[in-house]
Amino acid sequence: MEKQCSLRNGPEPSEFRQKLKVIIILVCVVLSLLVIRLWYLQVIKGDELRQRSENNAIRFRKIQPLRGLVMDRHGRIMVDNRPSYDVLYMPTKGLNPEMLVQKISDIYKTRALEYSTDLPLPRTVKSYLPVRLEKNVGMEKVALVETNALDLPGVYIDVTPVRLYVDGEVFAPVIGYTGEVSKEELEKTEEGYSSGDVTGKYGIEKVLDPYIRGRRGNELVEVNAFGKVIKNLGRIDPTSGANVVLTIDADLQKAAWEAFEDKAGAAVAMDPRDGSILAMVSLPSFDPNLFNAGISREEWVKLQKNPLNPLSNRAISGQYPPGSTYKLIVAAAALEEGVITPETRISCNGSFELGNRSYRCWKKHGHGSVNLHQALVGSCDVYFYTVGKMLGVDRIARYAKRFGLGDVTGIELAHERKGLVPTRDWKLARMKEPWQPGETISISIGQGFNLATPLQLVQAYSAMANGGSRWRPRLVERIAWPDGTVVKQWLPEKTGELKFGPKTMDVLNRALWAVVNEPGGTGANARVPGADVCGKTGTSQVIGLPQNEKARHAMKIAAFHKDHALFVCYAPLKNPEIAVAVVAENAGGGGAVAAPIARKILAAYFESKKKEKTNSAAVRLTQAAASENAQPVGP
Amino acid sequence: MIFLKYDRRLFQNFDWTLLALVLAICAIGVVNIYSTGFSLDGNQSPLYIKQLQWIFLGLALMVITFLIDYRSISQAAYVIYGLSVASLIFVAVFGHTANGAQRWISFGFFLFQPSELMKVTMIIALARYFDDHKSHEPYLLRELFIPCLIVLIPFVLILKQPDLGTALVLVIVSASIVLFIGMNGKSLLIALTSALAVMPVAWHFLKDYQKDRLLTFLSPETDPLGTGYHIIQSMIAIGSGGFLGKGFLQGSQTQLKFLPEQQTDFVFSVFAEEWGFIGGLILLVMFISLIVWGLKIALHSKDLLGTILAFGVTALIAWQVMINMGMVLGLLPVVGIPLPFMSYGGSALVTLLGAIGLLMNVSVRRFVLQR
Repeated sequence: MEKQCSLRNGPEPSEFRQKLKVIIILVCVVLSLLVIRLWYLQVIKGDELRQRSENNAIRFRKIQPLRGLVMDRHGRIMVDNRPSYDVLYMPTKGLNPEMLVQKISDIYKTRALEYSTDLPLPRTVKSYLPVRLEKNVGMEKVALVETNALDLPGVYIDVTPVRLYVDGEVFAPVIGYTGEVSKEELEKTEEGYSSGDVTGKYGIEKVLDPYIRGRRGNELVEVNAFGKVIKNLGRIDPTSGANVVLTIDADLQKAAWEAFEDKAGAAVAMDPRDGSILAMVSLPSFDPNLFNAGISREEWVKLQKNPLNPLSNRAISGQYPPGSTYKLIVAAAALEEGVITPETRISCNGSFELGNRSYRCWKKHGHGSVNLHQALVGSCDVYFYTVGKMLGVDRIARYAKRFGLGDVTGIELAHERKGLVPTRDWKLARMKEPWQPGETISISIGQGFNLATPLQLVQAYSAMANGGSRWRPRLVERIAWPDGTVVKQWLPEKTGELKFGPKTMDVLNRALWAVVNEPGGTGANARVPGADVCGKTGTSQVIGLPQNEKARHAMKIAAFHKDHALFVCYAPLKNPEIAVAVVAENAGGGGAVAAPIARKILAAYFESKKKEKTNSAAVRLTQAAASENAQPVGP
Repeated sequence: MIFLKYDRRLFQNFDWTLLALVLAICAIGVVNIYSTGFSLDGNQSPLYIKQLQWIFLGLALMVITFLIDYRSISQAAYVIYGLSVASLIFVAVFGHTANGAQRWISFGFFLFQPSELMKVTMIIALARYFDDHKSHEPYLLRELFIPCLIVLIPFVLILKQPDLGTALVLVIVSASIVLFIGMNGKSLLIALTSALAVMPVAWHFLKDYQKDRLLTFLSPETDPLGTGYHIIQSMIAIGSGGFLGKGFLQGSQTQLKFLPEQQTDFVFSVFAEEWGFIGGLILLVMFISLIVWGLKIALHSKDLLGTILAFGVTALIAWQVMINMGMVLGLLPVVGIPLPFMSYGGSALVTLLGAIGLLMNVSVRRFVLQR
């Protein structure tokens, strides 16, 4: 050792040796302190701390946030929250859930209440996870459980918010419903769900779930051996979700719902000026409040097996042959392509011959010689067979697409269907067969392969109404925090233009007005005094009807083979503010069934507008009076 | 230069004890991290696999820092130091932000934390400086101006991130080195009083959460869901382990995620809950052995450079062990310092294993250096 010392030019190693000894002692002292502390915590206080961890005296409890409200355009609440009372059991030693369920149902029996739940009891009970015994119980049960708390150790009532759907059935197809997260949803880690969370399952509730959901809170509580909270140790409050303001007008929605009088079908009302959806109903519907408590299996099966499929929103996913409402598109195509002029006359004697087949006009003895205006007013089939044949299927398709048919509109809802605008290529690709000339004839009156959703129809007619702009149907106005700060706003969005000449627009607009307002028009039932309604009826065949008169009549009687009634309209003629599409399934003719429904919706719209006007006039009057009264104070 | 020259003696005198100790602690760490990733819903987090990968990467670095003569490394000391500072500056400008702190450089597949590297490169730079400026007399304050600068630059950069824990470790480790090689008594007194005088000003510059942590340490029950929650849950976890522990994967505090940061700063709580006092004691003894072994290497080094390097690395490990354990056991405030070789974290593990390579380097070359 000493030999190397001379090599060093620094402090002596002996000095280091001294220091290191001190350091080693210091380190040992510090680490011994740690060992003593470890001994203190684990051995001296071990039992106490073990108790605290095992009994699990301290527990995290999740606090479910309030989901955002859903409001209509006037701020009326359509979806609210209400408290739901669940019976929970925090496992304690020596008691299994089965025994407790028995005890609870015995207690219920004294008041003739039944213990009813589908919730499966867990096979193994973990001392830190509460077991939910019963969901969404009434106040009577809450009182029973609370008063018998001593006999039910570990059982407690938990309050969680659940959805309250006002007029649930009316809004269900649009707003949807909520439920507990599923296993699949839990696996999507990026969503950050944890078991027991509530999430949107359908409609707006689902599409806007990330905004509406809010953020879970946590609570740290100390509980006693009976599972009762004895001390609140801390709490992170949940954050409520953001509120959604829809473009829907709740009153108009209700009017539309009532107008159907329980017929199956759908109606959409749109503001043609910006694409805002004012009302969207689909019947039959379901009560979304059923899903709050976790719907019972029976009820779920009943909903799913219903042949009328109440769980689908027909306005966006019901695809119907547009029938004669399609004539607007064929007429526009014919005028723009120069195939006809407004004056071109075609003679209708009740049928149209192509090859060795004859195609009937709905009017048995024909319309006589008609021009375009008369053909639209009387909905003459032969006129459009002729024009359609001149145009050919692909030219019609081009115009149909300009109207937005054959593609999704982009509304803020899931499950929207595309409808179908057939072309030669489509048929070849799809059916491996060439296009038949006869199929063009069916297409020209909106039958055959043609399919459109009510939403597409109202979008198409809105474009006609507003002078040629196609707007994306807008259902959501904005999302805002409860304090009013806007999270996201949806602006009107133009998705296309018709690009028709002014003459075409003028001729067609006048014809659609005449359909409703001229004598002999098929849409007379939609007339609203003073509103200048323009529209087109349609009756779409559910199955191909035999051309033979007798067989045709017999088939029409069978309810499920009855035609779908359609009516698409807008009003008023000058500066239209509302467009409506109505489809009534298996209900009969468009003019007889769908037009009256549309009339009721339009009437409700103009009625409430008038009321608003008088109201605001009254307000203005009182304000004027008030300011007049205030006048003398001035100099 | 004795650069990477094969020498039989390197292997004849290889420090197996040191390697065995470090690997044993690393292995315990991996098993422990496996336990934290083991959660009730059966979603096995692959964290322990990643930790294993970091260990292998660290061992590779260890081979390099072992094979290159530490005197050659010292030649490049200021370059390495400069690069570390540059990466800290890079972090300050472009760094990746997580948990409200900007501490990482993102390499896509992993996040590199330069402040961890800085701990070791600072030691190398200090060793080089003191080796260049040998003195028989204890150092005076003015002679320590450059070492102070070597510490202060990264200190300020890391404090800014903000990472109070790491910044404090830099100061404590460098102070230990200076005290170890000798400082004039008067100078020491001046330094201490001025440090005390600066404290109230420093308090002013702390972030709110850092102040909270220091305050709640004094009375953890006042804010059990916030900062105090960590301490309470940690103490419950450790205490509930009892003498023998709850057994592997049986720690309810851990498995139920009551315990925060359980794979990083609070790994020891997990370990103590599952392995009890016996496990904790064994781990502590292993750490004591490692530290004493490191100090012994410092003592037996043939030159001052080796002594300072070995002492610095050992001090780094010792302080982190003591501070982390003190924090986890509720004796010190929560400052966010990982437990060496046990906490999950690639940057810390790789640089620490590199530092162990240096320690071996010094340990073995006392038999190689003849002059």
